[in-house]
Amino acid sequence: MQGLNNRMTFKRWALAVLFSAAGVSAYAQTGHPELDRGLAQFALGAGNGALALRYTQNAETEQDYLLRAKALLKTGGQSEAVRLLDALIEGDYYRGEAAFLKSSLVSNDQEERRRLLQIAAQKGHGEVKQQASYQLAEMARTNGRPDTAGKILASMDTGYWAALGYMNIAADYGSRDLNPSRALISLRVAMAMAEEDPNKERGEALKAQLLVRAGLLAYESEDYDKAITFLEKVRLDSYSTPQGLYLHGLALTGKGKHRDAMQSWHRAKKYPLAFSGVAESWLGTGRGYDLTGYLGQAGEAFLSASATYESERVTLRKLADMVREKGAYAALLADAGETRAEWFLADSRMLTQPRSAYLLRFMENAGNQAAVHRVKELDSMLARMERQEHTLKVLTSVLDERLANSASDNKPALGHVRTEIESISARLIAARQNATPGSSSVETIRHLAQTLKDLETSTDRFDKRLHKRDQRLRVLHQKASDALEKLDHRKRKATDVLRKANAALDQKFLAYIDQESERMLVALERAEQQIAHLYEYLALQNLGGGSQ
Amino acid sequence: MVGPHHAIKWLVFALCLTIGSAHAADPEALDREIDQLKSDVAALSQTLFDIEESVLHPADTQVAVFLALKDKEGLELDSIELYLDGSPVSSHLYTDRERESLRQGGIQRLYIGNLPHGGHQLKAVLTARSANERFIRREVRHQFRKRPGESRIQMTLDASAPDYEPVVSFQEWK
Repeated sequence: MQGLNNRMTFKRWALAVLFSAAGVSAYAQTGHPELDRGLAQFALGAGNGALALRYTQNAETEQDYLLRAKALLKTGGQSEAVRLLDALIEGDYYRGEAAFLKSSLVSNDQEERRRLLQIAAQKGHGEVKQQASYQLAEMARTNGRPDTAGKILASMDTGYWAALGYMNIAADYGSRDLNPSRALISLRVAMAMAEEDPNKERGEALKAQLLVRAGLLAYESEDYDKAITFLEKVRLDSYSTPQGLYLHGLALTGKGKHRDAMQSWHRAKKYPLAFSGVAESWLGTGRGYDLTGYLGQAGEAFLSASATYESERVTLRKLADMVREKGAYAALLADAGETRAEWFLADSRMLTQPRSAYLLRFMENAGNQAAVHRVKELDSMLARMERQEHTLKVLTSVLDERLANSASDNKPALGHVRTEIESISARLIAARQNATPGSSSVETIRHLAQTLKDLETSTDRFDKRLHKRDQRLRVLHQKASDALEKLDHRKRKATDVLRKANAALDQKFLAYIDQESERMLVALERAEQQIAHLYEYLALQNLGGGSQ
Repeated sequence: MVGPHHAIKWLVFALCLTIGSAHAADPEALDREIDQLKSDVAALSQTLFDIEESVLHPADTQVAVFLALKDKEGLELDSIELYLDGSPVSSHLYTDRERESLRQGGIQRLYIGNLPHGGHQLKAVLTARSANERFIRREVRHQFRKRPGESRIQMTLDASAPDYEPVVSFQEWK
């Protein structure tokens, strides 16, 4: 009974929305709800929210409303989207997905967010259900209830989201426990879960990260064999590889295998210094030579590390200058032809270029991702407005031309067409009488007669349409002129917002460069200290040798 | 009574505030402004679509061709080319997002244009990779009659196991 009432409320409300949206466009839809739905789905999937909005103007079913809500969220219509999502949460078919979408809009209200995520976890399916459960587990974990988090994770399907949950629990155990067992068990569970991710690329990337964490935990508890076992499984083309190689070297050193350790560090040194573990690997090589008794090579390795850090500081200074001159977005993303904000989709090329490497590290932070996303969004919005302006100008000139040519000029031509139709009709009747029954010419004549009939219908309709033509063209012209005026205003506003978004991004990126320069300075000082120690030792040794 | 020194201090303070606000944009305020702009641009897009369709594609002679997938996993579309009466009118190279969108039940409008009344031939050339890792190139033809009013032709692509041979069916939306 309650469900029926809900459905009726939804339908009444849906009708109200339908009514309010009806006046927006006369050309909005194809007239076939199924076709409109498919077109909206495609537009939304291809990233064209505005087009999806157009095809869902006269939404009828809950599926249409869900598509419309998603399109509204993509195009800044948050308040209307919330109204639709609220109705869908009370509906029959998309309660979970609607609740999940709305949960991302109420991040300031923890209770409401939990309620929505619970609906999404209970009523949703597939990725929505898993993601909602993961977020519920995270809420419990960050609020100091790891047992609840564990229970939620245990109820989830194997895959990426469950793996992420176990990884976070492992991080908690790792920082709390003196013994790494609990953390390592959680990480092993997470690895097994990540292997089941249907998105292989994503699963592999997460698994590499988990292996590095497990390797670090094992190394810190001085279980070097276990650390080596974990770290040897890290793929060589993953984002976590440089750090994995560095830790692998450390674990080998722990076992006294200095030569093997140096091999790992040599491989880590091939990656840009932006990645964690690379700067340390340069120092590690020197230390490795030192421990194996090759003091000359150790000195050379430390000198070479020192020169590398110096050179990296110059690179960072140049990068900062470039950011100040062109802006971070243009210097790092647009110029590099890399406008994807999804840093985790990095390919091998991104892993070997210093500039891209800094960008990837910068993008690890969610706030930085948001800053880049804002600029990217405004940039593409302005580009779209430019195209719209051009199209509107062309259309306005077409309308000007059409308005300049009087509609009545076509009337004599139309009379001629009518006479032609009559004459051909008569010839077709004669041909039909002469044709042999059952022959292919009968069928051809039938088709021709149909086309002629269609032409006649169109000619009759044309007369009526001609009558309203000028009035309609003037309405369209006015509409185009208004749109151009609005567009000009929006362009100016978007340019202003883009300037602010660029300034915010530049500020964040320059702060990050400063931090990286500082990191290089610390590494440089450590290298110089090592060189000083080495020379001091050699000098003392020489003195000792001389005195004997 | 406010002394001149006090007034200058206030002016400097106000100036600092202005400069500060120009440099450090509040991310939430920025997001709100971007949302508003997105909404405005989407509304303008609707207006533009309407004007474009009514100016460029008069309803009486309008023809639109759509594509949908029946079997969601059988084929991975690479490209499609459309020919009307032997002339190329549209071609499309698929991105991952578009393929995924078609898999989720999306329908793509491949072409919209104008044709005179009477008989016409639509030819589609598609290239794809089948689920059994075969590269496929197929040509399909469809004869249709352009009648008064908008004509909408939907091509539905199917490729079922075990051979994943593509089959294209045509449907005209009345």
